[in-house]
Amino acid sequence: MNQPVKNYVDIESAISDFEAAERKRLNLQEQPVEQWYDPQPQTFTRAQRATTTILMGGLTIMQDNFIKAALCGIGVNVEVLDCPDTKALHYGKEFGNRGQCNPTYFTVGNLVKYLVQLRDEQGQSTEEIEKNYVFMTAGACGPCRFGTYITEYRKALRDAGFPNFRVLSFQQKEGLNQTNGGEDAALPLNLKFFMCILKGCVLGDICNVMGYRLRPYEIQPGQTDAVLAQVRDILSAALSKNTSLIKAAHQCKKLFKTIKVNRNQAKPKVMIIGEFWAMTTEGAGNYHLQRFLESEGAEVDIQVITAWLLYMLWTTMHDTKRRLKLREDDTGRYGLANMDGQKRIMKLWVGEKILRGIFKSFAFLMGLKHYKLSDMNEIARLAKEYYDLESRGGEGHMEIGKVIQAAEKKKAHMVISVKPFGCMPSSGVSDGVQSLITKKYPDVIFCPVETTGDGEVNFQSRILMFLFKAKRRAKAEFNGAAVAH
Amino acid sequence: MATKKKFLIGLDVGSTTVKAVVVNQEDRQIIWSDYQRHKTKQVEKSFELFQAIQEKFSEYSPSDFRVFVTGSGAKPLVEPLGALFVQEVNAVTLAVESLYPDVGSVIELGGQDAKIIIFQPNEKTGEKQAVCSMNDKCASGTGATIDKCMIKVGLPEEQVSQLQFNSGKLHKVAAKCGVFAETDIVNLIKSGIPSNEVMCSLGDAIVSQNLSVLTRGNTLLHKVLLLGGPNTYLPFLQQTWRLRIIETWQQRGYKYPTELSPEELIITPDNALYFAAFGAVMYGLDEPEHVGQYKGLSELEKFVEEQRSGNMRKANSGPALVQNITEVGDIKVNYSVPPFNKVQYNPGDHVRAVIGLDGGSTSSKAVLVSEAGDIIAKAYKLSEGNPIADMKDLLQKLKLQITDQGATLEVIGFGATGYAADVLEESIAADVNIVETVAHMMSAVHFFKNVDVICDIGGQDIKVLFMQNGDIKDFRLSNQCSAGNGMLLQAMADQFAVPITQYADTAFAAKQSPIFSYGCAVFLDSDRVNFQKEGYTKEELLAGLAMVLPKNVWQYVVQIPRMAELGRNFVLQGGTQYNLAAAKAQADYIKARVPNAVVNVHPHCGEAGAIGAAIETLRVVKRRGKSTFIGLDNAIALGYETRTDESTRCHFCANKCTRTFIDTKAQTGHTSRYISGFSCEKGTVESKDALRVLIEKRKNLKEKYINLIEYEARLAFKSFYKPEAMPEGGAMIDDIKVYHNLLGRLKRKKVRRAFKRSSADAIAMRKKIRIGIPRVLNLYSTAPLFRAYFEALGIPSSNICFSDFTSEEMFQEGAKYGSIDPCYPSKVAQSHIHHLLFKTHEKSPLNYIYFPTITHVPTFVEKSMDSTSCPIVAGTPNVMKAAFTKEKNFFGERNIEYIDNAVNFMEPNYLKQQMFETWGKRLGITEDESDFAMEQGWKAFNWFTQDLERRGLEVLEKVEANNEVALLVLNRPYHDDPGLNHEILEEFQALGYPILSIRSVPKDHAWLNRWFKQDLARNKITSPLDINDVWPENYSANSVQKVWAAKFAARHPNVCVLDLSSFKCGHDAPTYGMIDDIIKASKTPYMALHDLDANKPAGSIKIRVKTYAYTLMRYQESLLDRAGRLSELEKNIAAKRKELLALRRASIMEMLESDQELKQEHHTMDAAFKAYLDEDEEVLGLTLSDLSQDLEKRAPKSKKRADIAPLDTNVIAIPITQITRRQNNETVPLKVANAKERI
Repeated sequence: MNQPVKNYVDIESAISDFEAAERKRLNLQEQPVEQWYDPQPQTFTRAQRATTTILMGGLTIMQDNFIKAALCGIGVNVEVLDCPDTKALHYGKEFGNRGQCNPTYFTVGNLVKYLVQLRDEQGQSTEEIEKNYVFMTAGACGPCRFGTYITEYRKALRDAGFPNFRVLSFQQKEGLNQTNGGEDAALPLNLKFFMCILKGCVLGDICNVMGYRLRPYEIQPGQTDAVLAQVRDILSAALSKNTSLIKAAHQCKKLFKTIKVNRNQAKPKVMIIGEFWAMTTEGAGNYHLQRFLESEGAEVDIQVITAWLLYMLWTTMHDTKRRLKLREDDTGRYGLANMDGQKRIMKLWVGEKILRGIFKSFAFLMGLKHYKLSDMNEIARLAKEYYDLESRGGEGHMEIGKVIQAAEKKKAHMVISVKPFGCMPSSGVSDGVQSLITKKYPDVIFCPVETTGDGEVNFQSRILMFLFKAKRRAKAEFNGAAVAH
Repeated sequence: MATKKKFLIGLDVGSTTVKAVVVNQEDRQIIWSDYQRHKTKQVEKSFELFQAIQEKFSEYSPSDFRVFVTGSGAKPLVEPLGALFVQEVNAVTLAVESLYPDVGSVIELGGQDAKIIIFQPNEKTGEKQAVCSMNDKCASGTGATIDKCMIKVGLPEEQVSQLQFNSGKLHKVAAKCGVFAETDIVNLIKSGIPSNEVMCSLGDAIVSQNLSVLTRGNTLLHKVLLLGGPNTYLPFLQQTWRLRIIETWQQRGYKYPTELSPEELIITPDNALYFAAFGAVMYGLDEPEHVGQYKGLSELEKFVEEQRSGNMRKANSGPALVQNITEVGDIKVNYSVPPFNKVQYNPGDHVRAVIGLDGGSTSSKAVLVSEAGDIIAKAYKLSEGNPIADMKDLLQKLKLQITDQGATLEVIGFGATGYAADVLEESIAADVNIVETVAHMMSAVHFFKNVDVICDIGGQDIKVLFMQNGDIKDFRLSNQCSAGNGMLLQAMADQFAVPITQYADTAFAAKQSPIFSYGCAVFLDSDRVNFQKEGYTKEELLAGLAMVLPKNVWQYVVQIPRMAELGRNFVLQGGTQYNLAAAKAQADYIKARVPNAVVNVHPHCGEAGAIGAAIETLRVVKRRGKSTFIGLDNAIALGYETRTDESTRCHFCANKCTRTFIDTKAQTGHTSRYISGFSCEKGTVESKDALRVLIEKRKNLKEKYINLIEYEARLAFKSFYKPEAMPEGGAMIDDIKVYHNLLGRLKRKKVRRAFKRSSADAIAMRKKIRIGIPRVLNLYSTAPLFRAYFEALGIPSSNICFSDFTSEEMFQEGAKYGSIDPCYPSKVAQSHIHHLLFKTHEKSPLNYIYFPTITHVPTFVEKSMDSTSCPIVAGTPNVMKAAFTKEKNFFGERNIEYIDNAVNFMEPNYLKQQMFETWGKRLGITEDESDFAMEQGWKAFNWFTQDLERRGLEVLEKVEANNEVALLVLNRPYHDDPGLNHEILEEFQALGYPILSIRSVPKDHAWLNRWFKQDLARNKITSPLDINDVWPENYSANSVQKVWAAKFAARHPNVCVLDLSSFKCGHDAPTYGMIDDIIKASKTPYMALHDLDANKPAGSIKIRVKTYAYTLMRYQESLLDRAGRLSELEKNIAAKRKELLALRRASIMEMLESDQELKQEHHTMDAAFKAYLDEDEEVLGLTLSDLSQDLEKRAPKSKKRADIAPLDTNVIAIPITQITRRQNNETVPLKVANAKERI
């Protein structure tokens, strides 16, 4: 028998129960859809700084070491990840998106590998790892896949079981970007901080150039590497203890002088250009390209990170100058709305002078002679006809400019352009334009080559194919010079 | 003392053969040579060759020999032989320079490599320089591809070597990847194409592939030398080279000695095999005497022994597949497929059953399933190429299994799946024709109660189905890649001559395994070569490969990192599961990632598809109450004829597809014709009348289920906007003047000045200008602006010429200029430029070809970091300039100027400057005119967008109202090109789903807020067009728009998703996981095609479309069903309310009975109410009692009117003439309907 229904409250309550039952019966018990959001964990506060280790890596071994030392010198706990290896690549492929380029797989996988080791080998809990570590990397705003590295880090970390791990992006053009930082930000975003990074890059560049210049001609095998290890320790100590860098640089100069060389050898000089990471990494990411070339009897001419910083300054300068006289300013990313374009140009000019000055000074102090940083205006002038200066991504027009420069000034016997498989700016644009450059400059031995992370044999075979010609040319030059003398 | 004679040995260790030559140092003559197929035993075969050399030259000691080795497998031999390694291209170059100094180019096809060397003369020095290129990571166009396909074609070697090339009967074969080629070959054979035609088609495809990719856009110089095994032994391949190379020369205007015959221009030397080995020796001649000193046989022998013993171990090798012998036993217990015992019958028994048949790519299977769902009998056969013949054979086998026992068989239904299903549905009136995925799902669900994931690995395909509530929730299929399929294991077993049945036992014997990098099957094979060189044994290699299989399945194809989220019940099926090594590796992989996983192997894993078809047939026949099947005996006796000749050719377009007709005739008189081998729908009909019906059908579809992708693609390039008239010269305008002040600071001030016009001559000149624009890339989203810009400047609409939409023919014709291999949308740009140069310009000369470098594109997304183009897309105009000017200036020759200036759509003011800088002088325009034209361009662009949004809204409103679904395509603008999207959308349109483009989704905030209100309320976003909640690194415009569209689809219940991406798309790659997460959370039906490329993988697309159509159908049903249930709910609630109100009334009555005071109160008040009702009230001044009086004599009392509503609302109580409107200054009455609306 029905319960007596006295008032409307009872009716509504009964209807509500009835509706619930009916919804269940009719399978209409729908929960509102919980849409997906990217949690983007980024909070890193001043209070957490003392107990948090900042993980970083991705430049050359030297540079990573120096930046670590310099940051330690201003009280920041930094741990540098090892140079990515094949295991890192496998982690990257497992947790990354399909179709990424291999620098993404290597670097993203390298972080996952490190965290998995902390968890599985050192027994730290996921919560501890997420609390005690953050990762800092260079960010960008495109236009190639490099700009989405941070997206990829977060995806891989979520999928690998570290959903709350923090990844901070260091914007190359804009300084440190911490969404939740504000006044409570953990890192001292001041000139001192940026100088640490700058010093690390410049000192690393100089050591690397010295090493690649000396090693192929050393009389006592292994001496250059031994000296470089000592140099690394001396400079790292000076950076971390805030002692005189000038004194340390002098010490290094003396050490470099101890390396005995025999320049009386015909060795082809091979310039390595290409995609930033593939050409600078010194590990599995390019199949140890630099050492491979040395083992095949070549001298390697590397690109320095300082040149990349100069390129960054140049692009901003170029973009600003192009827009300076518009009747109305635009609000787009490069637009000058709410900005004093002339002031910016002045700052960039000063910045460039300072950067070149620092490099030149330390190069002099450490004994690096006859090394000239690239003239970005000249490179742009050479490349302009073939590669639009406003087409960006990767090295932009630099690759083209460098090859023309190498051809016109006979800077190297051979140019290798190394890039990850399917690198958008390098494989997808530069290589296409280079086909015209090599026709215009038939003397240039140009070898574009892609890395996939596997296929080392084919990669090296391809290089040997070109190196053969470079060796012949170097030998002919050497013999010619000998005859002339 | 006279010096002893010295010899140089050249050894070439390739991927399939080992070749050696002995050269006399004095006269450089080859005095001994031999080659052997090594069957992966490179070291042992090399050893044998050295033994032979030592025997032949027994009077000499090792010190008389120097050794130079080359080839992909030669490096490990350097140390034991004391040899020097020479890179193979360099070796070949030296050999050619020495033996054929007048040669201009070399094409060498090896087992795994293809090389092209062009000897370019240096104009300055006159010296020849060798420009070399070789495939570095892909086996396309190599001997391996030919080998693989030859096996499929089944032609004996001796017949192949006699085959002559015939260009008259060529069929489509995609040689881009060996795997694609194989798939096409299988399909051609199945369509009944003769073997010789298939081989010629393959040869032609391989030659074209090499000419378009490996030459890196360079023209081969004469004479051309053909080297390597395939070029030496296959005359039809030589003939193909001759035909196509000469064609290319003629097309490009290359000057070659026409007096020479093709055989003299393109040569195959006698000793083609030994060029690399001989070249290695030539290299050695330049080296100092001590280099390459032969160490003698003993070291090599020791090396061979070490390899044989398997003592060479790598420190970084992976674990074994099994740890001990006990584990092997467990595997056999847990994962072995139980032996099938056919059901036993007694003579005279009557068996009623249905047949399920799965016509697969490599094999066909059939099953008999009883009415109770039990498997009674099975039949299997390797496909012989004709589905009718296969079917007849299988049915006969099934029949005999029953009738041989003396029982009788009554087949009550027939269902088919797989490649053969369509033809069987037609010819034997199958009851069921279901797509393989659904068949596999039905089969798995039939055997296992709880199924979360079904993983089917067949010979060519991988299918992974994700289940929810016994239905397919989502699925993944291998697209065009063979990585992870059964053929991979089969091919590897074949390499080592291990029968596939012994694969598992062989692999289980390994104590370690090499770690393969998962991915492309070709890369895996190159890994295999490396590992072999490192000394891994076949056992270890087979184990390693089995272990990489799950990685390929789950990481490469399926792309599921969080497997545990899929559920814990996995069913493995497909023929590959018979291989216990594969099953074990799969189970290990799954269990390592899914806690408490239950991994079952389907008890009939090879026949899962056939069983699914049978189960569905049981259901259909039961529901329908009868079968359409022509009957078992009729089917077995079915007469058929397959024809592929001139009479079957389609003549409805220039393609003239060679179709195949399969005509069948059953004893019942039932006839059917099944047509295959056509490339478009036109090929499905035979007469113009039938074609007319087809066209009408399509037209109707266009209106009923609009495809806004197609409409957008057409509209973008049409002249739909008529620009406003250019202001007259002197008309006053507002402007801003930019100047430097005295301190050098830039200042701006507002000015009013006269509009400047160009001269009359310039205006007249512009009327004659013709501009060609390639219909590619981001022009799909920006073309309306450019067109309107030029039209506003006075260039006639007909003089703005876009290339055609992409087509296969267009690509083939113009695809030989590029030096790189980017994504197809960028690569195809060369064909469009070619089209403009060779087609458009030929018809009527062009002055300019305009292909702007679009660095930034317009976007509707708000709060994004930037709005950049993809760098490849932006840079392609530069690449095209290089491609068409490097050998000769194709533009200059035609007096065409190629323009590729940068444009930035995110900065309108800067864009004005960029456009004026480019076109000012060329078109003789003033800056004012250019700026005005730009404004017109933006107007056209806005019209374009608004029109599409309006049509999109119509679609969305319609589907919402009718509980239907629309398909939103997540794509980059250029996938609107039918040549890029392979017209997949039309297939869904034909199924009754309207297609929405991203542009066509309305972007009105107020409208969108309905879908994003939750996100806005939670402050996840600041606008419905903001995507920072899911992707903060949002700078790449087209990717960002795709992500926004995914978000929209996730929130709109009537929108399902089709996600299109090109193979190699770097900008879509970061969005894959994100879109997947967005879609998964909302459970929106979704299908992705992430590997769109030049070739259309018709088979794979068909399966996907059919499977997704099944999902869409189910989803649409669920929407309808839900609407029905909601209506039932409303009805039931209303009824319930009525019931409860009645109950309340009853309760009150009960209460009144028990409460006297209340009863009295009600009684009194009821009486008062009754009195009110009974009161004789005046109406129109009268009471009822007044009616008894003589009213006519009564004086009027009141003017009060009755307040009574009309009884029938359709009868309007207002005279029509009272509601009027003004028309032509006359007052006319409004129609009744209007009046009703107003009321």
